[in-house]
Amino acid sequence: MTEKKRRPLLIRLALWVDDRTGAAKTGTSTLHKIFPNHWSFLLGEVALYSFIVLLATGVFLTFFFEASAGQVVYDGSYAPLHGQTVSQAYDSALNITFDVKAGLLMRQVHHWAALVFIAAIVIHMLRIFFTGAFRRPREMNWVIGLSLFLMSLGNGFFGYSLLDDQLSGTGIRIAYSVMISIPLVGPWIASFLFGGNFPSDEMIPRMFAIHILIIPAVILALLTVHLGMLVRHKHTHFAGGGARDDNVVGERLWPTYAFKAGGLLFIVTAFLALLGGIFQINPVWIYGPFQPENVSSASQPDWYVGWLEGSLRLMPNWEIRIGDYQVPNPFWGGVLIPGIAFGLLFAWPWIEARITGDRLEHHVLDRPRDMAWRTAIGIGALLFFTVMTIAGSDDVLAVKLDTSVNATLWTLRVLLIVAPLAGGWVTYRVCRELQKRDGPQVDPFLDDVPPPADPGDPPEAAPDNQEITA
Amino acid sequence: MTGRPRVAHILVLAGAVTVMVMAMSSTGVAAQDDSQPIAPSSVVSGDVSEIDTLETGEQLYSTSCVSCHAVNGTGTVDGPDITDVGELGADFMLRTGRMPLAQPSPQAPVKPPAYTDDEITALVAHVGSFGDGPGIPDVEIDNADLSNGGALFRENCQACHNASGAGGALSYGRHAPELHHVAPTQVVEAMRFGPGEMPVFGADIFSADQADDIAKYVEYLKEPESPGGYGLGFLGPTTEGFVAWLVGIGLAVWAIRWITRETRAARAPTPIEATAPGGSAQVRPAATTEEGDSNP
Amino acid sequence: MTTGPENKQERLPALFFVVAIVAGLALFGVYISGGQNQAEGILLFICLGSIGAGLVLWAKRFLPPGPEVEDRGRLASTDEERDAFAADFAVGSQPIERRGFLGKLLAGAGAALGAALIIPIRSLGPSPRASFNETPWAKGVRAVDEQGNPIIRGTQPQTNGVITVFPEGQLDDEFAQTLLIRLPSDGDFTPAPGREDWTTDNLVAYSKVCTHAGCPVGLYEEFSGLLLCPCHQSTFDVNDHARPVFGPAAVPLPQLPLGWNDDNELVAEGDFSDPPGPGFWNQDALWKDAHQ
Repeated sequence: MTEKKRRPLLIRLALWVDDRTGAAKTGTSTLHKIFPNHWSFLLGEVALYSFIVLLATGVFLTFFFEASAGQVVYDGSYAPLHGQTVSQAYDSALNITFDVKAGLLMRQVHHWAALVFIAAIVIHMLRIFFTGAFRRPREMNWVIGLSLFLMSLGNGFFGYSLLDDQLSGTGIRIAYSVMISIPLVGPWIASFLFGGNFPSDEMIPRMFAIHILIIPAVILALLTVHLGMLVRHKHTHFAGGGARDDNVVGERLWPTYAFKAGGLLFIVTAFLALLGGIFQINPVWIYGPFQPENVSSASQPDWYVGWLEGSLRLMPNWEIRIGDYQVPNPFWGGVLIPGIAFGLLFAWPWIEARITGDRLEHHVLDRPRDMAWRTAIGIGALLFFTVMTIAGSDDVLAVKLDTSVNATLWTLRVLLIVAPLAGGWVTYRVCRELQKRDGPQVDPFLDDVPPPADPGDPPEAAPDNQEITA
Repeated sequence: MTGRPRVAHILVLAGAVTVMVMAMSSTGVAAQDDSQPIAPSSVVSGDVSEIDTLETGEQLYSTSCVSCHAVNGTGTVDGPDITDVGELGADFMLRTGRMPLAQPSPQAPVKPPAYTDDEITALVAHVGSFGDGPGIPDVEIDNADLSNGGALFRENCQACHNASGAGGALSYGRHAPELHHVAPTQVVEAMRFGPGEMPVFGADIFSADQADDIAKYVEYLKEPESPGGYGLGFLGPTTEGFVAWLVGIGLAVWAIRWITRETRAARAPTPIEATAPGGSAQVRPAATTEEGDSNP
Repeated sequence: MTTGPENKQERLPALFFVVAIVAGLALFGVYISGGQNQAEGILLFICLGSIGAGLVLWAKRFLPPGPEVEDRGRLASTDEERDAFAADFAVGSQPIERRGFLGKLLAGAGAALGAALIIPIRSLGPSPRASFNETPWAKGVRAVDEQGNPIIRGTQPQTNGVITVFPEGQLDDEFAQTLLIRLPSDGDFTPAPGREDWTTDNLVAYSKVCTHAGCPVGLYEEFSGLLLCPCHQSTFDVNDHARPVFGPAAVPLPQLPLGWNDDNELVAEGDFSDPPGPGFWNQDALWKDAHQ
């Protein structure tokens, strides 16, 4: 009898699983999925990997953080706060910082990862916008992506507010005031969220539940759909090298892309570890525990809420009073303007489709210059948010530049209107110039071109028209 | 490496430089060490021990102070009445270099003192003789309570001077100065005197011990504990946001451009012939199109 | 093992992996010897970054580079597939539609359940009416400083000084925090109509809660007579009933009437002139209700 050679253990394991799932069938097509290669396509991954770091460091922190407003007397390693009465939340934050090995690194990496996570989302969102990747069939993914952005923003805000330090407590107070400014329902929403008036003992435990459970669960769910649709639609790609609307040109998932993506995961984590090691962030021991009658000058929220802070500062002191009823000032800057801005952002794929009349499927990306009007609007919107963000730090700016904070504010008020308009116009001109270098182009916004045939029509034999229409 | 603009590199470099410059100048309001002390041309600086202090003080005073504050400190249109500021007020103004002030201004800037130690002692004694203002406080921080000082600082001082003593913006061009270059005695003098826009924190608000505690905490803020690393000027989320973008995103963009570089060069974009509106371009298929495995 | 030029290509990624090993071990050493944040961060950066760099170099140098092409295929279902789906769905939906009466009752049950499930939300917090507009200040309530000491006539604050006071026993009442300022006697303070006797001994009291977004208005610019809120730069004129003169605040800081009790301690002579803090839609209506 010939001896039967046993296959290696891993192979046998894989066969066992396949017997029960048929995994090899789908596995094959997954392994040679094609991913187009462009640096800007990895921005979403930078965000994703930052999120993974957030989850990992966050889990560590939950083992040490105490989400309670109960008062204790601090007697840890940080001498300048000895004997001060602080909340357990603040006390545990100091404990993590000064008395838990690797605690400070975990805390700082967690916070830096949050800042970088949201920054990566923004720059990824900009890439999607400027290349038109939100067009059919990816409108849902655009909406989901924006929702992820808002979720992350909120989670970050709750996250750094958990520590109950003076700076973040001031931010919660402002958020509470913005909430109650909503007509009719504002006070109810605020009272339900906070368990009453500000400050309340329920604030911290509830923010904790939201921050570690509710929002991360929503983010993970939305992220799954976001990535699932990406797999279903396949990635977009730029023109060139044979790229068309009916194919994907790039490299195989296995092994090339997997190694590169895996390498990027390690690299992103490495950069976050570097930030956490050498740049101090959120020194809550200097800010002190939150006391509602205290406040520091130069109180800013984390950068991604800066635009909201700036919006509150820039708004002139308008309010509406009718008898004993009012719409108070924070409503305009804190609710209405952000609501309109994000409403427009969410609706953009449909706004653009209405303007261009283009309802075709697109898998080949635009170069920003080729859609000059969209790029101009995008730059204008970006400048609008940037001026607001700068305005959020106008007192720091005034001190640094040794100018009057009042004059600085007025300058920023003017810039808020002027910069987007001027910047948008300049961008448009630049795009048109760049287009001219490439030869004659068609700008659907300005030139009189009839919209393309509706995709519901049966496909026409049109050899020069490579678009998929049905 | 191609000759294309290295956007990411430029961004990272610019960012690093900006962060360094901001952090290094991040001592709140610039101490303005570069402005020249306004020293009167005819300062007498002989051997003070042999000259009556008050007399020297009077001479110094009549050289550079009398034009704004008048003889005996009764004040003019250019300078306030200083009859009751006492030695405390004069000591504060002279040691922080705020006085002499070349011309009236909404906020006397901090400068290196214009006088030597002995000259200041003489001037202080002279101004103190104008009325019955307070004497120089006896500030001793070695045995003061740092923790209590911090609590009092955060209750009363940080609203203007910032939690880390980096200073802050006031109205119409004035600033609450940074506190990283001021001596403990001057800290207490400022509290008792209330210079410029600063309120007066008298002995009924802070006892001498409490004032010492605060002074000790201000001294601590010059070198606060920074186990986390580079303090970024202790200006809070503003600088942290800069670093997240310039260093964090800068490094990330550099990395992803590196990762995708070789294949970018291999795929030089072919020129676009636009045929249809909506920006979707038809592409001349490049010669390098391979037949890959298609999905079953 | 391959030979020749590929071997040379292996050197750099190999070096990175070796560096990663060393850094990892060093990190372990730093940790067991007590830990140090900068060392931990830098070593972690070197270890992780080297692994990442090694992986990327491996991919770039040794793995198939492409480009390869994959067909996208058709995204939407064909008309036949859609018809088949509709037919399958109709097998279930037609019987449901035939039982309209049952369906409506089910919908009613669902609505009732939904309404009931909202009830736990009501437990989250009190009705705003109860909690939003009360302050402990009233006639005769003593003012105390942040340490809980009453304010004795003739003591703190001195001229041009400012302290924060609370109603006695309510040191943690954020809503009731009040600024007590002693103005110079030669200043130009003008009381608002009807508030001529609200100040005493040059002492004036305003709510410390900014009427814009609720930050404590902590900056007293004594020389200019301005109260500056550091959050959004709302500025209030101390000499003119804390009227807003700059910034987003539209409402003056409420003023507290002051007086002295028989022990020469500072007391309030009533509640604030207006509801303190940021506004909300029925703030004035609630305040009037509470102060009949």
